[in-house]
Amino acid sequence: MSEEAHDVGGAAVAAPPMNRMVVAVLAMGGFFVALYLFSHNLGLGGPIVCGVGDCATVQSSRYATLGPVPVSAIGVLGYVVLLALSFMGLQPKHRESRMIGGLLLVGSLGGGLFSAYLTYLEAFVIQAWCQYCVASAIIIALIFVASIPEVARLRGGS
Amino acid sequence: MSRSDERRKAREQGGSNMTKFYVILGVVAIVGIGAVGYSVTSSALGAAAMEPVEVEGLDDLTLLAEIAQGVTKGDEDAPITIIEFGDYACPGCGGFALSVKPQVELLLVETGKAKFVFYDFPITTIHPTSFLAARTARCAQDQGKFWEYHDALFRNQASWRLEASPIANFLGFGEDVGLDADEFEACVKSDRHADLVTANMRLGYELRVNSTPTIMVGRPGEFLQVPSATFQGIQEAMDKIGSPENAGGAN
Repeated sequence: MSEEAHDVGGAAVAAPPMNRMVVAVLAMGGFFVALYLFSHNLGLGGPIVCGVGDCATVQSSRYATLGPVPVSAIGVLGYVVLLALSFMGLQPKHRESRMIGGLLLVGSLGGGLFSAYLTYLEAFVIQAWCQYCVASAIIIALIFVASIPEVARLRGGS
Repeated sequence: MSRSDERRKAREQGGSNMTKFYVILGVVAIVGIGAVGYSVTSSALGAAAMEPVEVEGLDDLTLLAEIAQGVTKGDEDAPITIIEFGDYACPGCGGFALSVKPQVELLLVETGKAKFVFYDFPITTIHPTSFLAARTARCAQDQGKFWEYHDALFRNQASWRLEASPIANFLGFGEDVGLDADEFEACVKSDRHADLVTANMRLGYELRVNSTPTIMVGRPGEFLQVPSATFQGIQEAMDKIGSPENAGGAN
């Protein structure tokens, strides 16, 4: 997929940035992973079925919530925001938007750091692994990598 | 190629990329909706937690005898052992637990004449939640409250035995008997003890248990199956086992 500019009605319009497409697809996947965990937090799905690891241990630990808010709910919200930002950033009039690029970078970096902290808790504090949490950590890391081209967009500016 | 042709081509290229993007995004969305929807609407309980699991070594009777473990009440050195193979969702077992077991405990176990051993024997074909119930009792055992929880399950049997998803009931019973809620819930919502319950079921089948409650009375190597799960039946079986002509005899 190319990213060359083209005209719409005589005005130059940038091609849809591929990195934002990747972010959108990954955020959609991450959203459902987080939604799955959140549905179990709400008691809609019964015990979490895990092939490996022990999600129940992780999900029932005190680290599974921040105050009254389940961590999975934060994940759902975070992925919705990233999905919305990337989707918006694909629309013709926002394809060169520095603000959306900056928000994507900050959002993915914040999500990645939070996810790294949760992974640390799994490894060293709870000492149990939930593959859905690991999957989410991988997805947010990939989203961050896919957001790096936004740095060039921020520097180039338009 | 003219400038307008290039613009048209670029527009088409951009549109084509967006079309591919929407298709991929749609596929991810459909898969996600399907997976989460299936998780929520299908059996509310994990299959592995509800059913017997594969446990290696159960075909070897010596190994089976080591893996299967009953829970004992009373003096380990009591001369007579009273065994129950029970199903927490079975009304007959509920009746036994509420009316016969207290007499057994008071008159035979607490007096040191016998010890009482409970083995899980969930009949999952007619009681779909009984395997889970047996596991939860073992989770309570992890916290040293097996008998309190065991009794709570039977005492409240009518409230959960027909529920499709009695997990909330089980967690409530755990709270009632003073279990650590987080630890108990983590155990309940996992496959923990599925192997043990499976082994106990297998032991029952090997001993030709085909209904619950099945009561056996005896000592190692010589057990009588009690024809009726009543206190009188148990007392009679104990008399037979204890009588000189049966010592070292009946199996």
